[in-house]
Order: sequence, then structure tokens, then C-alpha cells
Amino acid sequence: MNANQPRSARVASSQVGLMLLIVCGAFTILSRQFLTPGNLLNVCTSASVVAIVGLGMTLAIASGNFDLSVGSTAAFAGCVTMSLVQRIGVAPAILAGLATGASVGLINGLIVTELGVPAFIATLGMLTIVRGAALIYTGGRDIYLYGQTQYKILSSGFAPVLLALALAFVLWFVLQHTRFGRHILATGSNAASARRVGVRTSLVLLGVFSIVGATAALSGLVLSAQVLTGNGRLATGLELSAIAVVVLGGTPLTGGKASISGSVLVAVINNGLNLLNISIFYQNVTLGLLLLGAIALEALGHRRTKQLTTP
Amino acid sequence: MSIRQTDQPTIPDAPATGNTINQLDWDLLWERFGIAVVTVVIWLIAGLTTPGFANTDNLVSVLRQSAFVGVSAVGMTIAIIAGAFDLSVGSTQALCAWAAVSVAKLAGVFPAFAVAVTLGGIVGLCNGFLVSLVRIPAFIATLGTMFLVNGLTYIVTNGQTARFSGKPFVWWGNGQVMGLPVPSLVFLGCALVGVAILHRTSFGRFVYAIGSNREAANVAGVPIVKTTILIFVVVGLFTGLGAMLLGARLYSAGPGLEPGFELNVIATVVLGGTRLAGGRGSMLGTVAAAILFATLANVLNLNHVDAFVQRVVVGLVLLLALSVEGVRRRLAEYWTKRAARTSQASQPVREDQL
Repeated sequence: MNANQPRSARVASSQVGLMLLIVCGAFTILSRQFLTPGNLLNVCTSASVVAIVGLGMTLAIASGNFDLSVGSTAAFAGCVTMSLVQRIGVAPAILAGLATGASVGLINGLIVTELGVPAFIATLGMLTIVRGAALIYTGGRDIYLYGQTQYKILSSGFAPVLLALALAFVLWFVLQHTRFGRHILATGSNAASARRVGVRTSLVLLGVFSIVGATAALSGLVLSAQVLTGNGRLATGLELSAIAVVVLGGTPLTGGKASISGSVLVAVINNGLNLLNISIFYQNVTLGLLLLGAIALEALGHRRTKQLTTP
Repeated sequence: MSIRQTDQPTIPDAPATGNTINQLDWDLLWERFGIAVVTVVIWLIAGLTTPGFANTDNLVSVLRQSAFVGVSAVGMTIAIIAGAFDLSVGSTQALCAWAAVSVAKLAGVFPAFAVAVTLGGIVGLCNGFLVSLVRIPAFIATLGTMFLVNGLTYIVTNGQTARFSGKPFVWWGNGQVMGLPVPSLVFLGCALVGVAILHRTSFGRFVYAIGSNREAANVAGVPIVKTTILIFVVVGLFTGLGAMLLGARLYSAGPGLEPGFELNVIATVVLGGTRLAGGRGSMLGTVAAAILFATLANVLNLNHVDAFVQRVVVGLVLLLALSVEGVRRRLAEYWTKRAARTSQASQPVREDQL
């Protein structure tokens, strides 16, 4: 993809911050309910589900890959956990869910590294397979949890926000301050060179895909805890939203840094539109416009500076 | 295709043994005709093992089913050969199908056709503009238009499905000419047009050139901006046409028509042997892959395989087909290593060779 497309198409983090401030200011003026603690908590909760996947996706994109299977993985892990909570207890079930996600990720990684299938196609295939697996596992029915207040803890109060922040910190630390993180960035910027200097890129990618799988699973757990229902159709289309949010947050598709501001921005806008009683149909329009507008501004700005510097 | 040669780095002083040449030919043959052969084999196996597969009605319905993804995949093949791709085809399809059904109700078939194709072309024009002039990578640009068009469709339709069952209109989705379903004939026509575009026009040569090496194409004077815009317009036009056929087939269309359509189309093109990296690909492969996916669904249905399992099978087929090359390369590496080891073992290295 990027061979054909020049330029670093990325949004500057300062721009995202600025947009966030403007949007928040506008909603505060337009709606009296916006700037209340309860509502801000809502915003953060809904931002955190996509943010959690987005963080994993940032890692994948930093390593020069995509993972299109995250929506399916989230659904599958959610269903596995929900079905196990009654039998083996909350904490083991959560671990089992995360392990499910990590194994799906590991399989993605193995297909990419061992069979030489490009990540886009490998994870596209897995998107279909894992979605099918989730539906087979549940038999297409909902799994309800009655009276399981313990499991609800994953989605109540500040839990999702804290999870997202903790994850952001951990992944930031891994990317910036560990050898594994440097190897991820090296693999992302030039896999062949990385191999030459002794980075075991296959192992790096296996690690990255497993982490992405686990984060996808975590978001699936939060989602299913919100409604206390496991469903094979959960999180359909999450993969493209996650990629959009990652791009909006300032991660270039060619490798880079972690940022969760994108998902907060999208959540703020969606929440504000809800408060203003604007139809839910407009939410996709705003996401599309934001994505295109932000990248276009950046791309055009880039071109202008280039025209100025080159004779 | 001469593109082929640039892709394989030639090793200097490599002995041109018959063996290496055969090896390369197998690659090329698999890439060009592999999926077509696999499709034929699957038809034969299905005909022998699945009662109800090999009768005219069923085969007609398989061919009909393959057309709806197929028409869009013809355009997508051209885009992917050029190294771009379009994630907005799913949203565009829903918009165009809804427009086609609504207009058919008000004004008749040909206005419906015109509106669907024009709308597709307009979305394509926007994509092309964003990618070539604003210079947003195709992935992000079409991801953005995907959300945008999807949202707009919901707003315009107010979430409602349009319905129309006028005879002349639904004939385009359900009718037959000389025993062949109309959508398949349109699909065939589109594929032929696609082949003509790719191999008989300068635009087609530009598409291959941009896909193999964008910089080189630019230096050689290929009009990159114009070609890129045209590529996305072509994708939009084909998607609009396919959308009208689907609307006619279903007698209806709404904003949430086929979730995940864009990824199905891309999967079809890739299964057909077109490289995501660009520069290589064939229309024959795309047609075969579209028929293969439709056949799989049909055979699994006839064997009462549950719809959920079908998804798993479809994904597995995609992964299997795409990993053939990697597995073969691995095996070849293994055999060379093994051969090297055995020859080392049998002839100890002489000192003067070191």
C-alpha cells in the first residue's frame, strides 16, 4: 500500500488536542449536560473500548502490519469468558478470555511469519474464521449472565478508563524503553535491515500479534461486561473503527507512536451529538469527515512546505 | 508480461539449468491459472459427491450469486493491480442500490441504471481526488469515504429500505437470457471490458506501470494523477452497476445492505492471484475466484453445513490459497539446505577451497 502512496500521512498530536478542545468547548456551550461528571464518565467509558483495541493496533501498525481480525477476536473472547464465568469463576474466566485472544493473535502471527501471507490478507481470513468460530461457539444465541455483579466490575465506573490508561502506559513503556519495543519499530521501518542487524523479526511479529489479540480480547470483555451478554455478533466492524482512530490519533500508517487522543475525540463528538439530539446516523459522517479533514490538512500542509523548500 | 522479470532478482553466474526454468514456470502458471483450475476441480468434485449440485437450476444460481461480488471485483482488480485499493465499495454499493431501487420505482429501469452508475462514479471521483491530489494514502482516504458515504446513506434514506418489484427492473437481477442469468451475463461483459481496459488501452498499461513501480512510471511520463483518479472512478462505476443488479435481485435495498462487502471483494480479487503489492494480476483469476466463493457457499448449503461453519471454511480457503506460495518456498529452502548438508557430508571440504 505505502509503496504506492508517498508522504507521511499523519495527524500531528497538537492538532488532535486542539480539535478536542474546540469540540469540547462547543458542546459545553451548546448543551448544558455535557460538562457534568456523569456525562464525562460516559464519554470516557465509550472511548475506552475502541481505545483499548486502538492501542494494540498502534503496536501492529508500528511494526508495519495491520490486524483486521480484532473485531472477531473481541467477540470470540467475550463469548468464551461469558460462558466460563459461571463455571470457573470471574478471574480465571477473564484470564481464559485474554488467553483466547492472545492465541488468535499468535495464529495470525504464525500465518504471517511462517507461511509468508501478507498481514492484511492473513488477518482478513482470520476475521471470517474467528467470527465463524464465535458464532459456532455460541450457536448463534446470546449468553446471559444473571446476577453476576462481579463480572460487571470490568465495565463499571472508572474501570474501563483505568484499564485503557494502564494499557496505554504499559505499551508506551514497552515501545519507548524496552529492547522489544525498539525491535518493533525497527521491524516496522525496515524489516530486511532489521533482520540483517540481528533482530529476530519473526519472533517480534509473533509477540506483536499476540499482544494485539490480547488487547482485542480485553475490549471484547469490557463490551460484554457492559451488557452482561455474550454474542457472536459483538463488535462487528470494530477493526476499521480502530484503524481510523489510530490514524486520527496521530500514528502514521508507516510506523510510529502510540496515541489514544483519537478515540477520546471521536467519543466526545459522538456523545455531544447524542446530547444535542442529533440522529445517530450523523456519527459515521463526522468520523469520515474528521478522518479525511485531519489527514488532508496535514498532507496539504506538507506539500506546501515541500514546494517552498524545493526550487 | 515483462513485469515478471523485474520481480525475480537474477543471481549472477547462476547456471541456467532446465530445473530453475521449470520452477519459475510453475509459479507463473499457478498465479495465472491456479484458481481457475481449482474452481473447475471443485465443480467436478461437487458434481460427483453432492446430489443436487449438477443440475441446471443450481448451476445457474451459483453463477448468478457470483455476479454481485464479481462485478465490483472487476473494478477492484484494476485498482489493486495499480497498488491502490478501495475500502468504500461496501458503502457505495448500499447507496447506489438504494438509489437504483428508488429511481426505478419513480422513473424506470434506465434512469435507475444511470443514477446508480453515476453515484458510484461520483464517489470514485472523490476517492481519486483525495488520493491523487490531496495525497492521502488510498487506505485512509477510502476508509474515510466509507464512513462518510455510510453515514450519508443512513441520513438520506432515514434508515428505511426502498422496495420495488416492477418486472422490467427485477429482470436485471432475476431474469435469464438463453438459460443464463442476466447478472452473470453482465458480470461476463464487465470482465471482458476489464480485460480490454487492462490489455488494449494505454490506461491499462499505465495501471500496470504504476503498480509495478510508481517512481519509474512517473519518470517515464505516466500521468499518475489522471490515471489514479480514473482508477477510482472505474471502481465506482463497476460498483454502481453491481449494486443495481443486487437491488434488482433483492427487490429492495437499504443502507445496511451487505456489511463487510468491501472485504469480500478484496478477498475475491486476492484469491484470484492479484498481488496486493500491485503490478500483477489477472481478470480471469478474479472471475474464477468469484465463482469459487459462490460455489463453496452453494455446496456447503446443499450439504446442510451450518452458516457459521461456512464462514470458517471461506476464511480457511482464502488462507490456504494464499499460503501455497509461502509453503512451497519453505519446502524449497528445506530441500536446498538438506541437499547442501548431504553433499557436504559426502565430500569433505578440501583445504584449497576454503
